[in-house]
Amino acid sequence: MAQSDIKLIAHLMRRAGFGATREEIRSYAAKGYEATVEELLNPSDTEWLGDDMVRRFDLEASGMINAPGSSRNWVYRMITTNAPLLDKMALFWHGIFATGVPKVINGRVLYDQINTFRRHGMDSFDSILVRLAKDPAMIVWLDNQENHSHAINENWARELLELFSMGVGNYTEDDIKECARAFTGWTIGNTEYMMVRSQRDSDWPYGRIAYHFDYRPEDHDDSEKTFLGRRGNFNGEDIIDIICQQESTARFISRHLYHYFVADEPPVPSWPYTPPRDPGAIDILAQAYFESGYDIRSVLRVLFNSDFFKSEDVRYKKVKGPAEYLVGVLRMTGEFDMPRREMIPRYRQTGWMGQELSNPPSVEGWHEGVEWIDTGTLIERINFASEQFGDSNKPGVKAMIDRICREDTDQLSSEQLVDRCLDEMGAISVDDETRAVLIRFIDADHGRENVENLLRLSASTREFQLA
Amino acid sequence: MLEYSHTIGIVAMEGRGFEYPTDTVPARNGRMYVPNRSRDFGERGVRVTVLNLDSEYYGTFGYLGDGEGQLVSPMCAAESGQGLIYVADDYTHRVSAFDYDGGFALRWGVHGSAEGELNGPSGLAFDTDDNLYVADTHNSRIQKFTSSGDFLHAFGSPGASEGQFRLPWGLTVAHDGDVYVADWGNDRIQRFSPEGEFVASYGTTGRADGQLRRPSGVAVDEHGLMYVSDWGNERVQVLDGDGNPVQVLRGEATLSKWASDFMATNREEAAARATANMKPDLPDVYGGDPHTESAHVESLFWAPVSIKLDDAGRVYVTEANRHRIQIYQRTPSPA
Repeated sequence: MAQSDIKLIAHLMRRAGFGATREEIRSYAAKGYEATVEELLNPSDTEWLGDDMVRRFDLEASGMINAPGSSRNWVYRMITTNAPLLDKMALFWHGIFATGVPKVINGRVLYDQINTFRRHGMDSFDSILVRLAKDPAMIVWLDNQENHSHAINENWARELLELFSMGVGNYTEDDIKECARAFTGWTIGNTEYMMVRSQRDSDWPYGRIAYHFDYRPEDHDDSEKTFLGRRGNFNGEDIIDIICQQESTARFISRHLYHYFVADEPPVPSWPYTPPRDPGAIDILAQAYFESGYDIRSVLRVLFNSDFFKSEDVRYKKVKGPAEYLVGVLRMTGEFDMPRREMIPRYRQTGWMGQELSNPPSVEGWHEGVEWIDTGTLIERINFASEQFGDSNKPGVKAMIDRICREDTDQLSSEQLVDRCLDEMGAISVDDETRAVLIRFIDADHGRENVENLLRLSASTREFQLA
Repeated sequence: MLEYSHTIGIVAMEGRGFEYPTDTVPARNGRMYVPNRSRDFGERGVRVTVLNLDSEYYGTFGYLGDGEGQLVSPMCAAESGQGLIYVADDYTHRVSAFDYDGGFALRWGVHGSAEGELNGPSGLAFDTDDNLYVADTHNSRIQKFTSSGDFLHAFGSPGASEGQFRLPWGLTVAHDGDVYVADWGNDRIQRFSPEGEFVASYGTTGRADGQLRRPSGVAVDEHGLMYVSDWGNERVQVLDGDGNPVQVLRGEATLSKWASDFMATNREEAAARATANMKPDLPDVYGGDPHTESAHVESLFWAPVSIKLDDAGRVYVTEANRHRIQIYQRTPSPA
């Protein structure tokens, strides 16, 4: 098997997944690149630790009074799933449709939204937006339960256009108002009781009650509206249909996909003033968007099979987000074959690295790319990975060291040991200077304990922070 | 047949109330002992709450820690013939015993897989000789000890054949001395002689009446009827001695005394609750999954982790995710 094939699959799995072990990479490479892309896009026989195991052994990850319980449930899934793109897409949409605990409070409601992203995150974009508009967490996050036929609340409508579909500069203030009118009556059931409990952060008497969508025709403004130059008695679905027909929507979503899967773009607020890194790539993705009827799975197929994605120029051009970084490490160390109390401190690390799931800094989500890294978060990341890879009691770490040391390591050159180590870390490539540092380090001692330290040192390289 | 009686409990991070309760012991002193695992192994949340059927509150004991009389992850409890409350901890792999007032009595248990060692115990039941059966969950076996922790014998191994287990959970000793085990991962109840010989298996995987999904506990009355907390189906089933379904219950919790006290002093919430439809029709998007349904409808069983009987014909269903106990009364079956 050509090393270039291995490196390309490793690149794909860092982007469409959370990285992969050496065995997984070789298994995918044997199937071939395009077949692997198809398997990621259309996974069958999906497996993970399983709801039953999580619910039995991590009770708050079942009852979800608070957000950390629901997020731990998600982390268990991300670190054990054999269909990583589903959860990578959930993380993608969570970054864009960023919904958080400060207003939603209820962990189960946040969990339901992430589940929707996982199950439907590669559907057509119009259906994704309709599901989003009916999602109870989003309704509460953007106050649509306050959007009444006699008194509109524009919050959801404004973010739908600005942050979720078209981007600023492609609609007017009047469009926002008309959009808001179309979504009047889209609310949650038992609004008053749920909101009183939410405002008081009440889990009494018997824990949280999950929210459900409720359409109230008596509170819907069914009169004529004018939206983006179209006129009609629009309801929410009609508005989303019009939004999805816009060139601006195609380009906005394409740029998000490029930013997330191909190479870091500048922060979203600067997009109206900063051209894309690769305008040709955005053209290709936007064309796929229209040709497929807004189908996100089809756009992703084009993306992953494109020359611009496979290019050496974009490898290691993305900073791993804290959640994907943590998940990648925990998948490799294999610590959680079942829920354990130790997940609580592991999960908390994402917050210290700058990304507490279901708690975005604002409705804009997180500023990604190089903004993930500062002196504090970098130290957290390196310390975390170093600690995890430094514990050879963890089955994944032990297996890696066993494979590296499968022969007498004194008979191997330092270069061979470093190459084996980087291979075990997910077939990562490091620059010559870093490689020389690693070789100098292992030169002094080829013993098993020092190999363990070499793993820790490899996890602190620049390239390990990148995807 | 079971008839709903009343509900006990309220969610509370400490003190009076429960937080992720895992079991109920209706003790012979008329009090109930309820271990709580808490949401995140909280310093104040881990405890055993003591109360009675009328919701009189007597205090708590067994707080978070590794010392004598402390607990990390209490998963089940049982009362010995000596009147001690035994609690199994699936994190420390120990069994601790307390007197009725919560005073520490003794503890034993070593982590491991050898004879007499434990790995994540989650079910306890005494026989009439005051020996203790322990569901040694991650070793997929049942072990029998004296009440002071001396190993007597063990049975079971990982697997799905007769006499094998996948992560067994609750268990009980019936009036005839047979041991019934909720064989969680195999979706069945298994029955054994006191010596551990396989007698029978009840239930197959599924959602139909008489089928089971990840049962958490079982109790058996003097007539041989089985009361099963069918955890994965979020329900309770009563099965006859051959395993045929007699009754299926989905739960009908009402406000407990403590919950009513809360509503009386939090009138804004009470007023809003009074206008709410507490049994709404859920959108199709949730797909009829019972766990999801229970997350949305408060009165339904949600995570029924244990089922226990008392001598007065009451059935206690402990619901971890709803932080309460639904109590039912056994009545004669209709002719």
